[in-house]
Amino acid sequence: MKNKNQMREVVVAGVALTKFDIYPDREIHQIGSEAIFGVLKDAEMAFPEIEAAFCGSVYQGTGSGHQALREVGLTGIPIVNVENACSSGASAFRLAYQMIGGGIYDVVLVLGMEMLPKGPIPSTAFRPWELASGFNVQMANYANQTQAYMAATGATVEDFSLITVKNRNNGILNPNARFRKSVTVEEVMNSRMVATPLRLFHCCPLADGAGAMILCAKDKVKSKSRAITVAASTLTSAVYGEGMMGDGSLKFPPEKGIVELSAHQAYEESGYGPEDMDVVQAYDTMAPSELWEMEKLGFCAKGESRKLLRDGYFDLTGKVPLNTDGGLMSRGHPLGATGIAQIAEIVTQLRGEAGKRQVENAKIGMTHVMGAGPNSSVTVLKK
Amino acid sequence: MSKPVKKQIPLKEGFWTTPKSEDQPRLIASKCEFCGEIFFPKKDNNWCLHCYQATLKEILLSREGKTASFSVVMQQPGGGFYKGPVPYAYGLVDLPDGIRMWSLFDCDNFEDLAQEQDVELVINKLHEDNEGNEVVTFKFRPKK
Repeated sequence: MKNKNQMREVVVAGVALTKFDIYPDREIHQIGSEAIFGVLKDAEMAFPEIEAAFCGSVYQGTGSGHQALREVGLTGIPIVNVENACSSGASAFRLAYQMIGGGIYDVVLVLGMEMLPKGPIPSTAFRPWELASGFNVQMANYANQTQAYMAATGATVEDFSLITVKNRNNGILNPNARFRKSVTVEEVMNSRMVATPLRLFHCCPLADGAGAMILCAKDKVKSKSRAITVAASTLTSAVYGEGMMGDGSLKFPPEKGIVELSAHQAYEESGYGPEDMDVVQAYDTMAPSELWEMEKLGFCAKGESRKLLRDGYFDLTGKVPLNTDGGLMSRGHPLGATGIAQIAEIVTQLRGEAGKRQVENAKIGMTHVMGAGPNSSVTVLKK
Repeated sequence: MSKPVKKQIPLKEGFWTTPKSEDQPRLIASKCEFCGEIFFPKKDNNWCLHCYQATLKEILLSREGKTASFSVVMQQPGGGFYKGPVPYAYGLVDLPDGIRMWSLFDCDNFEDLAQEQDVELVINKLHEDNEGNEVVTFKFRPKK
């Protein structure tokens, strides 16, 4: 791989999201193309300027990106569909970034999209005997990890219920979020038990939605004042001994887990560290995961994030505003679109276009997303 | 007409021993003779994922261990793959051999489950198939 300093500077020229919602009367190519039309407008570009497209989705079937692009333009460009579980959008973004940074293309479209039926995800990222044993309940897998985390750090159910409360409050200020209503700690702690100790309001809701971006070489951008530079984009998979969900090797635990590795690489690549971040998107697929991800991303020591949360450190007006658009918890989780939505929020914040949820003077930000596989992807962006 | 005899069918062949005598069944795993790492289920390939060598041999695991973590699942999993009862419990078990593994828990009362709870291996019913046969699997059961 080329060293970062041998790569061209890559900028995000445009972002667009559909509202994340439940669309029983729409089809995937419709919301996908809505995002593409949106991003062309935002980047002030015409479709023929696009040289390649990477399209992230998980359960949308063969050639779903082609289906969406077919509504917008047929210029013969390469279209590659990317399935990398909940990191699909971020993985597509990274491919576009590398293609431009490496000098292969100047202007690339990234799409992330998903529509899912109601209820838990029918995840098939397991062996058949594991599926038959009922081990594919992500909430229960996270619940096991949560129980171990609580025992190790003293974190309580109330601590991670406060994550839901914070993110739902941020969601009120995001017109694209699926849930735009606050909840109280009591409501969270009295919601239906899903997989002990996790309750319904500790779990992110699914949603239908799409997000698109146009990445380009710096000299190709139309609106320089709104362009945001990609400072790093990393993707890691399992490291030996960590396991998928706390089921790591007792004999040979790894020095760095998948999340630490993706963050470390992003800090190396960008030259920035957690102390430089003005605004952050972390993976809150389950409320407690936001607590431990911030620790793994290096923002504090293990077990310390709950105190920072209670001290307001992660609030919109805090030191490190976290999941400012409401996170997965409010925005909803259209699997293939989530990574794009996270990056779009940081771009929006760094542009100063986040309206009522704008973080003052935000110059550098980062996102973190995970997925079955497992995958972990970190993106660092700067003004 | 006589009623067909119900059979017991393992969820997957090769996961545990089925001794003819009064010995108890044991889980079958792979152990690396070079680094000592243990894998369950037994690896299809003679290949240690830790030290990258073809040094695996078959071993039988301890029948007793301790829970590392557990969760009681209150709703039907997605996809229709699981046909057992709901609610049900699963989590991680540490065996003294030096392996942490996922397992279902077999308990009369979910309140019998605790972290670092002593548990022992049982092989019993997961669900009935369409012909009325019992599909059985390994589980760990809290010890009294």
